[in-house]
Amino acid sequence: MIKRIKVGMASCGIAAGASEVKKFLQQNIDDENIEIIEVGCIGHCYAEPLVEVETEKTSIFFDQVEPTEEYLEKILSVDKNSAMTFRDERVSREKLKVTRLAGRIDPVSFDEYIEHGGYQSLEKARKMQPEEIIKEVKTSGLRGRGGGGFPTGLKWSFLAAKEAEKKILICNADEGDPGAFMDRSMMESVPHQVLEGMLIAALATGATELFIYARAEYPLAVKNINKAIDQIYEHKVNVFDDRVIDITVKEGAGAFVCGEETAMIHSLEGNRGNPRFRPPYPTDEGYKGYPTLINNVESFSNVPIVIKEGGKKYAELGTENSKGTKLFALAGDLKYAGLVEVPMGLTIGEVVYDIGGAQRGEVKAVQIGGPSGGCIPAEHFDVPIDYDSLESLGAIMGSGGLIVIGSNRCMVETARYFLEFTTKESCGKCTFCRIGTKRMLETLEKITKGEGSMDDIEFLEDLGPKVIEASLCGLGQTAPNPVLSTLRYFKDEYLAHVKDKHCPALQCNDLVDIFLDQETCIECRQCIKNCPVDAISDDFVVDNDICTRCNTCVEVCPVDAISRVKRGEKNG
Amino acid sequence: MAKVNLRIDEKEITAEEGQTILEVAEDNGISIPTLCYHEQLSTSTSCFLCMVKDKKTGNYIPSCSSKITDGMDIEATSDDIFEMRKTALNLLLSEHSGDCEAPCTMACPAGIQIEDYLRAARKGDFLEALKIIKERLPLPMSIGRVCPRFCEEDCRRNVIDDQAVNINDVKRFAADLHYEDYLEDLPKLGNKKIAIVGAGPAGYTVAYYLRLKGIKSDLFDMMPKPGGMLRYGIPEYRLPKDVLDTELAHFEKMGGIDVYCNQKLGEDVKLDQLKEDYDAVVLTIGSWCSRSMRTEGEELAVGGIDYLEELGRQGWSGDDPGETIIVGGGNTAMDCARSTVRLTKQDVYVYYRRTEKQMPADQIELIEAQEEAVKFKFLTQPIKLRKENGRLILTCIKMELGEKDASGRRKPIPIEGSEFEVEADTVIAAIGQSTDAPEGVLTNRWGDVDAQDDNYLVEGNLFSAGDCVTGPATVVEAIGAGRETANSVAAFLKGKEYKRDYNINVSRGHWQSLSKDDLVLIKEPVERKRAELEYISDKQRTNSFKETNKTLTEEEVKKEAERCIECSCSYKEDCKLKDYSEEYKAHPEAMVGEKIRFDYDMRHPEIIRDPGKCIKCEACIKVCKEVVNKYLLEFKERGYYTRVGTELEKPLPVDCKDCGECIEVCPVGALDWKEKKR
Amino acid sequence: MQLLEPLEKDRSNLIKAIQMVQAEKGFISTQAIKEISDHFGIPVVEVEGVLSFYAQFKRSKPGKYKIAVCDGTACHIKGSSRVKNWLVEELKIDDGETTEDGLFSMETVACLGCCSLAPVVSINGKVYGNLNRKKLLKIIKDYKNRGDN
Ligand SMILES: Cc1cc2nc3c(=O)[nH]c(=O)nc-3n(C[C@H](O)[C@H](O)[C@H](O)COP(=O)(O)O)c2cc1C
Ligand code: SF4
Ligand code: SF4
Ligand code: SF4
Ligand code: SF4
Ligand code: FES
Ligand code: FES
Repeated sequence: MIKRIKVGMASCGIAAGASEVKKFLQQNIDDENIEIIEVGCIGHCYAEPLVEVETEKTSIFFDQVEPTEEYLEKILSVDKNSAMTFRDERVSREKLKVTRLAGRIDPVSFDEYIEHGGYQSLEKARKMQPEEIIKEVKTSGLRGRGGGGFPTGLKWSFLAAKEAEKKILICNADEGDPGAFMDRSMMESVPHQVLEGMLIAALATGATELFIYARAEYPLAVKNINKAIDQIYEHKVNVFDDRVIDITVKEGAGAFVCGEETAMIHSLEGNRGNPRFRPPYPTDEGYKGYPTLINNVESFSNVPIVIKEGGKKYAELGTENSKGTKLFALAGDLKYAGLVEVPMGLTIGEVVYDIGGAQRGEVKAVQIGGPSGGCIPAEHFDVPIDYDSLESLGAIMGSGGLIVIGSNRCMVETARYFLEFTTKESCGKCTFCRIGTKRMLETLEKITKGEGSMDDIEFLEDLGPKVIEASLCGLGQTAPNPVLSTLRYFKDEYLAHVKDKHCPALQCNDLVDIFLDQETCIECRQCIKNCPVDAISDDFVVDNDICTRCNTCVEVCPVDAISRVKRGEKNG
Repeated sequence: MAKVNLRIDEKEITAEEGQTILEVAEDNGISIPTLCYHEQLSTSTSCFLCMVKDKKTGNYIPSCSSKITDGMDIEATSDDIFEMRKTALNLLLSEHSGDCEAPCTMACPAGIQIEDYLRAARKGDFLEALKIIKERLPLPMSIGRVCPRFCEEDCRRNVIDDQAVNINDVKRFAADLHYEDYLEDLPKLGNKKIAIVGAGPAGYTVAYYLRLKGIKSDLFDMMPKPGGMLRYGIPEYRLPKDVLDTELAHFEKMGGIDVYCNQKLGEDVKLDQLKEDYDAVVLTIGSWCSRSMRTEGEELAVGGIDYLEELGRQGWSGDDPGETIIVGGGNTAMDCARSTVRLTKQDVYVYYRRTEKQMPADQIELIEAQEEAVKFKFLTQPIKLRKENGRLILTCIKMELGEKDASGRRKPIPIEGSEFEVEADTVIAAIGQSTDAPEGVLTNRWGDVDAQDDNYLVEGNLFSAGDCVTGPATVVEAIGAGRETANSVAAFLKGKEYKRDYNINVSRGHWQSLSKDDLVLIKEPVERKRAELEYISDKQRTNSFKETNKTLTEEEVKKEAERCIECSCSYKEDCKLKDYSEEYKAHPEAMVGEKIRFDYDMRHPEIIRDPGKCIKCEACIKVCKEVVNKYLLEFKERGYYTRVGTELEKPLPVDCKDCGECIEVCPVGALDWKEKKR
Repeated sequence: MQLLEPLEKDRSNLIKAIQMVQAEKGFISTQAIKEISDHFGIPVVEVEGVLSFYAQFKRSKPGKYKIAVCDGTACHIKGSSRVKNWLVEELKIDDGETTEDGLFSMETVACLGCCSLAPVVSINGKVYGNLNRKKLLKIIKDYKNRGDN
């Protein structure tokens, strides 16, 4: 007997076609006893659209569901043979704590959250003294998940110690790292858990005005969290001793730098999102001058667990200085992209190969921490994931973006890409960041175009550390990381671009020709038909002066007769 | 208030809690550069020039915003910090669009403030114009006639109508007009005295600028009259010698400059003796040895410079040399040819082994020579000279252009079998000069006096400048070097080491690479063609040494000066970015990349806004908001393209002219009064 | 502006106000800037300063179909620059521009949060993933056929 059918409808699911699937199911299932509900993301984004069928006894998942009779049939018959298998390589390594409910419950059902033990930690906390709460958080060893890794309990104690007419608490949901979606997923899938963490923090610190600063590109997350907020107002969850704690969602407007604390405060105040010099720190002087605490979505999402388990228990998981679990948004050159939650201390290799299903030997590096982070080459994949180990390799834990870079990618181009991002996102205030990143970017562009020299490499090595040392905020202070870490681990690629005018990954268009091998060619004319600029002649020769290296022909050729080759190597 | 103990640059300091490192450093005489900090404004913390190092953490921190804490140990002066500040300045310069100095001034070897004297001339204040000129150049009557006009080659006016401002003729007019009644403010003479050997342009310049510092000099020259090249190298038709006499008489009038002629070094005066008798000696003996043709029979030819010298001795007259061939393509060749034209009715030829385009002579010299019927044969190389029946027979060979050589010019190579012979009465070899350095003086591999690049010192108390150091060059280059030598000598006499000023110049580029839209025009350029000098008649030009052209009229000069579009930055005298860049040895080309380019705003009657020069210090925005209590300026956009904007890009209100606080705080020329300083 | 009436005149609502206007009109006109400035009693130049800081705000009218090409990390390494080029060729517009018929406008954005489907674009908020050239051109064609209505 089917009880419920759950369709994964987080942004990833919707993008994969979950809305159509849900509509189809609704239209074609007449049985009134079967409830069809929307849930969030279980993290297995590669498998979307995902449908979970719950019966009295079990529950099974169907992956890559299409809105067809065939799938309907399988679903209704709870056909175990067609069910999705959860690979043991992944299941045995993951540790679902923060995301325990993600994708399992209706994100905007208050009752369901309560059913699954929601707001019990808050209830527990209400009975504790603020100092006790803070002590538990300190004991847990929880560190900020937003990138900085600052001990959460310690930060709370700063705010708690403040005497002020008003104290502010902000949840940083700006998630600007391109390629990261942990916070989005949490807000879309279990918004109440985030709110519960915030309310516990409010109890502990005495904050009375709470904000969630959400990234502009996350409409569904905003929608769900707003619904959840309405529900807690309705159920008076946010009333402490007759005092209503206000929670407001504020949407960002497209500026990565607003993830930085002081910039975020300026933005919330209705100003340009320029950071300012610290100290004073926000806990001393923040939003509208009031003491302000800022924590990340994932950090807050951990809090109910800490309170429930107690700090000591929580701290059992993880490594010496990094406790608990960490969410990673796994993407790039791997098989199973998605959101994973792993205990601190797992190795990068386990995440990339075992969980992500990337092929050993086909991966060159991972980029951790997005544009502020660095790359870690495959030979270091045995390091454990914790704050300190990553830093010693020139990367950072960051917020959790983890991009797998395949062997066929150019590291110089990758560095250029990240720097282009930060250059565009620099607020433009301080000299080293505004101009330094731009000059570095121009230099990288030169190199990827094959116009670079050894002086340019030296220039990057000289200017990069200076930008790190003399920028005002974290954006500038980390912007050179991708460049410096690729220079550290993949210098040979730089040298190839500079000395041989060669891109070993054959990715940098200016250093590549498109070559059609007439021996292999079966004259199917697919390439000629598909070339958008008519660069391939009737007798199957590519004119590389016309060709834009769009790669269409390489992709359409059924026999792989067309390939990218070193510029000038094959075509004269 | 609580007291805080800290160290800055190893100095133990006690200060009030709440103060910034910058404030404390300043109170203790430790200077820290700032660009975005202003006492009366909230801090911006954007320029990062004020960086110091927190020795405990090893971090660089902006001292303008960092509060002192107990036990702090700060490094405010060190090589590392110097390097970081220099990098900050290099970065700022790399995005900066502007022209500190006008291109004409940059091109002028003497560095005359051309724009300023043109402005004075435009107003009719020629005395002021002359004063400005003489700050850099003591021989304006002569230079006003003989200068090859480096300035005009680079003049931005070319962007407007393809014609440079006639800069040099404005100078000539101002000098001619006021020479007699002008006398500079002269300090009392001290008791230092130096000897200068060679009373040419370099020697006179050294003497002049030393005199302005109260230092006496004696000039020695081997010729019967002073002036050097100006008298014996430059023909009368270009520089009449009575003009030169007037000009040189001025030096006498100043007092403290004595000239001794017919004093040949090594015979009448001895270098060792001079070095002993005087506080310092400056060699400015020029470069007077003709280079030979290095061909068979070369001794039958007259050296170019010898030929001119002889004419000079005879008061620019001489016997008819008959049919003449001048070998060479430089200015000396032109002077020889054009002088010869004036002495004979017969044909005068110039033979040059490269092409017309490659001739090193000034364009105008070539044109005027052609006007005076000098005949040119290019790609022709003499290989032999002999005498037959009282006439000279010159064997030549035809040349063609081959591969490029080290200098980037295509090298002429002989065409085999193309030899031919020509007859002439006189052959003049004007193919270059070398220096006849006195015995015992250090020379370089070209045989020129080996003076140090940065201070003109040869050794001990001996200095040297001008052609004898550089090899044959122009008068104005000798003057530029002369002035610097004077400064170096003056420093030497005080026992100080002379360091040439390190000046930076941000430039928008050469006019050939610019269009009108690239310029900041501080006023609408007047539409007017360039004023040209009137020539004397062709007949007079070929049978007398009369000066070939006349000085412009006062009216013409005033109008010509109006054509100047005033290229230099209105703020160059006060610019903090420029000053600090010079102090920290930053360089505008140290880093290259996209320059910021925003339209400048001239719409306000008295204020110019030029955001291309803005360093984003935020001071103008803050002062308007925090001090003036208006809110007329705000940053717009972000990142590299951040700029200061006004409400809907409208001009600033006219009232702003009574305030000007933003201009006051702007460290650069991004906000300024339109009126230029002088 | 009526739209803004319910909004408290606190400075901290400025960005919200601009967002509301943009949601309604699709862009921020000069008139709207003046009205926002009036509503909050802050100078026009300050409103301009704020809105020009944020990438989300447009000063000119966008196309009926707003295409956002994701150039987040995952999409970038999966070839988002090609995706963009395909669109440039097809629509003859560049980043930030609108087609002459006012139908499409295009901009690149960083990460739409659907990295597992990279490369992705979104059109009026609807995300399309796992793109190749054919798929993309088909999607564009569908929108074209829908045309103006
Ligand atoms: C340029 C920049 C962008 C940032 N973006 C984010 C972000 O998107 N999300 C986030 O939680 N923290 C971000 N941070 C870090 C925050 O400034 C801050 O450290 C964090 O929100 C604190 O919360 P936590 O202690 O819980 O990590 C960013 C920092 C910088 C410098
Ligand atoms: S480091 Fe960059 S983003 Fe941060 S304040 Fe400076 S310019 Fe702005
Ligand atoms: S503002 Fe300063 S650096 Fe810029 S052009 Fe003017 S003088 Fe030069
Ligand atoms: S226009 Fe005036 S300031 Fe500019 S280069 Fe010419 S003479 Fe000099
Ligand atoms: S225009 Fe304003 S921001 Fe720019 S340099 Fe001048 S004072 Fe600073
Ligand atoms: S940052 Fe301190 S003076 Fe500019
Ligand atoms: S990188 Fe494109 S959706 Fe995340």
